[in-house]
Amino acid sequence: MSRTNNSLDELIEALRCLPGVGPKSAQRMAYHLLQYDQAGAHRLALALDRALQRIRRCAKCNTFTEEEVCALCTSPKRDPSLLCVVETPADQAVMEQTLAYQGLYFVLMGRLSPLDGIGPKEIGLDALQRRVSDGIVKEVILATNFTNEGEATAHYIHEMLQGRGLKITRIARGVPVGGELEYVDLGTLAQAFYERREA
Amino acid sequence: MEQGSRRRVENERAYVLHTWPYSETSLLVEIFSRGYGRLPLLAKGVRRPRSSLRGLLMAFQPLSLGWSGRGEVRTLNRCEWVGGLPLLKGDALLCGFYCNELLMRLLPREDPHEALFDHYEATLAQLQHAEDLERVLRAFERTLLKELGYGLTLDRDAETGGPIDPEAFYDYEPDRGPVPSRGEGRLRLRGRTLLAIANEDYSDPGTLQQYKQLMRLLINHRLDQQPLHSRNVYRELQQL
Repeated sequence: MSRTNNSLDELIEALRCLPGVGPKSAQRMAYHLLQYDQAGAHRLALALDRALQRIRRCAKCNTFTEEEVCALCTSPKRDPSLLCVVETPADQAVMEQTLAYQGLYFVLMGRLSPLDGIGPKEIGLDALQRRVSDGIVKEVILATNFTNEGEATAHYIHEMLQGRGLKITRIARGVPVGGELEYVDLGTLAQAFYERREA
Repeated sequence: MEQGSRRRVENERAYVLHTWPYSETSLLVEIFSRGYGRLPLLAKGVRRPRSSLRGLLMAFQPLSLGWSGRGEVRTLNRCEWVGGLPLLKGDALLCGFYCNELLMRLLPREDPHEALFDHYEATLAQLQHAEDLERVLRAFERTLLKELGYGLTLDRDAETGGPIDPEAFYDYEPDRGPVPSRGEGRLRLRGRTLLAIANEDYSDPGTLQQYKQLMRLLINHRLDQQPLHSRNVYRELQQL
């Protein structure tokens, strides 16, 4: 292969920063954009540039926003005494879809992952500590994932916030709604048994 | 065909040590298996929303795995939950991460250690209920070093070959063992402490503290002084 086309190489190399994109896919994307969809490419370049300039972290919940404080955090319809801690904006989005929750959020943008060296500093636990100290939050709901990393995150947030007069809860886990025991996966069923509650 | 069947492994008892996302929907899984030691497997498609293995390939749960392939990274074919071990919680969970990191960093790939595997499994079970997590960790570290061929010398003087004098002081040299102290070693231990560790007698509260320092010295030596992530994260969490 000839290596004369520098900006093409650079584009391919740049596309590889996307998750799951290797050299082959990056090349395919680059050729597609240049050959068939130059308008799309232009739009992408502009949107990326604008997003990078405008989007920052919400001062209250740490999620992406264009404002100082995001729309959800300023909404008068939400109950400011409830604060739900989630790992990612995607987790927040599904919580919102449930329509079960009317409080506010704190988005960690990650989870503790000791083997990857991701500790409390990397996920901004100090910012969470400041957030819950506003005197309005009464209950902190830990909605991190039920992976080992998510569990570790929930545990240490609990430890950190204990003794401040806050109610700290963890979302429940177990057999899914509409789940028939016969078809539930064994690990889930076993954990549901270990964590059984009084009927 | 015969060669193909030899490359296939079925129903192998194993634990996941760590995972990394791989391409759009797959997972790279580092496992510790009883009969084949530590090795990487590619679990194709398991990050799809409806994959039945999605919640299964998690550390600290006993699994029965099947894989095939010839290269360094084999392909996971089967994964079954074996059960019998509740998931770790709290500080015990952090200890589990620490054990996994030790295995990832110190155990060479494809080097089977059945005794170490059994001890790892017992360690996970003990961490569930242990009053004293430190003791469980020390025992794991000791077994790990022993299985790797770096067993501890605690009952004789590495210089003279003679017995340890309970009243004397010794410097512990990672590659040799205890030598009479000249006051310049990195870790100075009393003979009595060495003998107590050898006999697993922790009635003196100072013994466990010194034991921890000794294991840290030895492990850091084996890691060429490269820091352990889980140890750093644990320290940061204690400071919260």
